[in-house]
Amino acid sequence: MSANFSVKVGRHNDFISPSQACVVSLNSLKKSSPQAFDDDGLVQIQSKKLLNPDFNQASALSKSDPVKVSLHDCLACSGCITSAETVLIEQQSTGEFLSQLDTGKKAVVVSLSPQSRASLAAYYGVTPLQAFKKFTGFMKSIGVRAVFDTSCSRDLSLIESCKEFVTRFRDNKNLPILASACPGWVCYAEKTHGADILPHISAVKSPQQAMGAIVKRYACSSLGLQPEDIYHVTVMPCYDKKLEASREDFVFSGEVNEETDGPQMTEVDCVLTTTEVLDLLATKSADFTALEEAPLDRLLANVDESEQLFGVQGGSGGYAECIFRYAASVLFGKEVTGPLKFKVLRNSDFQETSLEIGGKPVLQFACVYGFRNIQNLVRRIKSGKCEYHYVEIMACPSGCLNGGGQIKPRKGQSAKDLIQLIEVTYANDIEIRDPFSNKITQGLYDQWLGHPGSAKACEIMQTQYHSREKTVGSYISDW
Amino acid sequence: MVSGLINANPVVHERKERSSRPCVNKILDSKIPSIHHVRDITDPEHPYSLEQLNVVTEDSIFVDDSKSYVKVTFTPTVQHCSMATVIGLSLRLKLLRCLPPRFKVDIQLAPGSHSTEAAVNKQLNDKERVAAAFENPHLVELVEKCLVSTEE
Amino acid sequence: MSLRLVQELAGHDDRVWSVAWRPGGGPSVLASCSGDKTVRIWEHSPGASPSSATWVCKAVLDSAHTRTVRQCEWCPAGKLLATASFDSTLGMYEKIGTEISFIASFEGHENEVKSVAWNSSGSLLASCSRDKSVWIWEVLPGHEFECVSVLNGHSQDVKMVTWHPSRDILVSASYDNSIKVWAEDVDGDDWRCVQTLAAPGRGHTSTVWGISFNATGDRMVSCSDDLTLMVWDTSADCVSTSADGVAPWKHLTTISGYHDRTIFSVHWSRVNGLIASGAGDDCIRVFDELRDNVSTLPGEGLSYEMVLKQEKAHSTDVNCVRWHPKEPRLLASAGDDGVVKIWELVGGDLPLLSNESLPYDPRG
Repeated sequence: MSANFSVKVGRHNDFISPSQACVVSLNSLKKSSPQAFDDDGLVQIQSKKLLNPDFNQASALSKSDPVKVSLHDCLACSGCITSAETVLIEQQSTGEFLSQLDTGKKAVVVSLSPQSRASLAAYYGVTPLQAFKKFTGFMKSIGVRAVFDTSCSRDLSLIESCKEFVTRFRDNKNLPILASACPGWVCYAEKTHGADILPHISAVKSPQQAMGAIVKRYACSSLGLQPEDIYHVTVMPCYDKKLEASREDFVFSGEVNEETDGPQMTEVDCVLTTTEVLDLLATKSADFTALEEAPLDRLLANVDESEQLFGVQGGSGGYAECIFRYAASVLFGKEVTGPLKFKVLRNSDFQETSLEIGGKPVLQFACVYGFRNIQNLVRRIKSGKCEYHYVEIMACPSGCLNGGGQIKPRKGQSAKDLIQLIEVTYANDIEIRDPFSNKITQGLYDQWLGHPGSAKACEIMQTQYHSREKTVGSYISDW
Repeated sequence: MVSGLINANPVVHERKERSSRPCVNKILDSKIPSIHHVRDITDPEHPYSLEQLNVVTEDSIFVDDSKSYVKVTFTPTVQHCSMATVIGLSLRLKLLRCLPPRFKVDIQLAPGSHSTEAAVNKQLNDKERVAAAFENPHLVELVEKCLVSTEE
Repeated sequence: MSLRLVQELAGHDDRVWSVAWRPGGGPSVLASCSGDKTVRIWEHSPGASPSSATWVCKAVLDSAHTRTVRQCEWCPAGKLLATASFDSTLGMYEKIGTEISFIASFEGHENEVKSVAWNSSGSLLASCSRDKSVWIWEVLPGHEFECVSVLNGHSQDVKMVTWHPSRDILVSASYDNSIKVWAEDVDGDDWRCVQTLAAPGRGHTSTVWGISFNATGDRMVSCSDDLTLMVWDTSADCVSTSADGVAPWKHLTTISGYHDRTIFSVHWSRVNGLIASGAGDDCIRVFDELRDNVSTLPGEGLSYEMVLKQEKAHSTDVNCVRWHPKEPRLLASAGDDGVVKIWELVGGDLPLLSNESLPYDPRG
């Protein structure tokens, strides 16, 4: 599960390479378990082909509906993907996006990630605020209804993660808890480690999926829209987010009445990478630097009345930091102020921090980025030698700011220089604020979810993971 | 077995008479009779033999006993057939079983018969890859099914 | 020059893929590994010469793997034996006295592991797999192993890895027809590919199955499915040493026209300077640098000639050839016939390396 595909070899060695079994079921709106497909894994790549419509599965589709296998379904399969298909996948996303805007049947809502925002800002030499406003202006000019910021939904995800951590810590079960925000990591864990590791992964949804849930299951009414009339697009720093968006677990039914299920919808309909935004700008012959700065949609964005952007620290979501401080406070009554002291272990992508009381470590957290480090961590967990309570795991070395979908270095700019620039840009004039103080998330709890960790919050904001077996089809195409 | 067939409607040919046709310096009728049975290997997707589907013909099999060399050329039914490698594996397994160990075997796609001809040929002639494939129970099961029809 | 068969070691139930002589002192020990999922340890009678037909199987190691064991390698001190298997794991055995016990298994590769190699100090282990990656592992106290780096770069199956005889430079051979050279970054944070030897230009045109360094590490030889051996040289051009101190490799010569089928193995003796090859035409061949070559410029006009061809060395493909690390005339081979053979080079003047030969260091 790479931030890059195996054929687009990134500058770094350390990404998780795509594996072989299809993560996404061939019947994309189906809800039953993946164990149902064993021998049928043959997937046509050259065209969207029909599968056997008599597939005996409980499904929302009638028997006469053709089941389409799109290239999105094949993202996980290194055996299937050739470089031609990789290019096709990219074109498909921006193509789909533009055609949705053209047909005008649905309202298109775009959620921009702070990592993509920073990548754009660094590329064009503007501040994150400027980039956000120009991006908003551009999107609105091509017909997008609203532009949101996943820093906002990230706060919700962080709050729920804090609550979850404290509960699981007290139960002392399946520690360490492993962050769930990185789909590259999750897919790898599902395919390679299964039951050994999945119970450790946090059940909380990523900021992308949290935003999807908010937009389609709550905020739609504020927008005056039915959920099935919204086409929700996110802009993300990597390709694996496309895989995440297409997971069956994020499909839900609109409610018509108590007896019938409404139409099937998914939280995120389309994911564009930062580089695809550049393609879009080019397609529309837009000069980003010359774009007008439009007012921001403050409904779901971490920006206050004075246009001050805010959020947590950390290019990969700041999970370890946020949860550490919360746990220290709630579990041990210690208020940790000031920056956390991280100790660098084997390399800069493996760092740990701890809270000591009376000379004894009571909380041990780590940030583990990149495949080689994940390997060592997982090995330790499996052999029972892992002392951590929580680990922020990310598939990409240097974290999300270095995702495979981020804009590449300019000529003469080294990869290292670019990462440093993006990190500086990412933090540029963004006020660090505690997620619990976010008025928008407070409103979401007051009006909708109840309180952090409530039954409703868990229902909406949590997901599950599945061990994936390799199909015969994957062996046929790759031995 | 497979829900999305690569070639849903293959062209099926007559099976040629086998009995007593002397094959001049091609197939070793007397020394390795079972080599004929390569043609009876079943296609992985359809209940027809490779011969009936013209995947292999009499001319597909070249044997030089003095050099301990066999070459099999086959033509998959469809240009982009992803089952080509499975057919190749079944040919390999059959030949592995019916030929003495001194034989060197090359298996190739008929030129121009497949969109990724070079890649498939390379894979089928890499004995390490083939050996690993034969340790994979999923693939072995699939290939064995194709060979059932060739047992005497 | 000819090869005399010292002894045929039968026992494996399936093809033998690889053999490895144990380094270090004491009586000669040979490990072999097979499609029968085992590793066999062979020793000759104590007190007898290794070139005497007194070899017996001392142990059958079967705990590590559930599929073919593709390669086995002893660490430089001769205490540990690492194994690479199609079951996607690496295995580790420890030799204490006469006992060899299974001590660890490393997961990580996604599918068949094809090769394993120790660096010259025994502090690092490299492995490679059909998953296209090369892994570097560090040996920690208490027989713990940690992954140091996962190197992606090859676009296909990686067949073999081998280390430079004295420096921490790793070389890999692949189904993608290329050879890659890997070294640690200057800032030491990670490893990266510092050179790729591939066509167009001078490079193999089919799968590269093996590579072997000469004793001083300034030359290496590769073998391929394209029926050639290629000799690569790094001594000629000290000037263009790259920033990280790794001098670039240049193609020196291609040895072609000798092999009739895939060359599965090549080994450059650290003792006698000869190159041995094992191929799918059942032959073992030995090559030597052409001695009467007038040209004295380093890296120019050099060629190699075949000095020995052993037909039907095995009744099947020869999968591996390995010169003895100390005895100048001993060679071991492994074949699809399930047999390990020990050979002795007979006749001929061996170009023994002098004591002045030191490992090559381009930094001077």
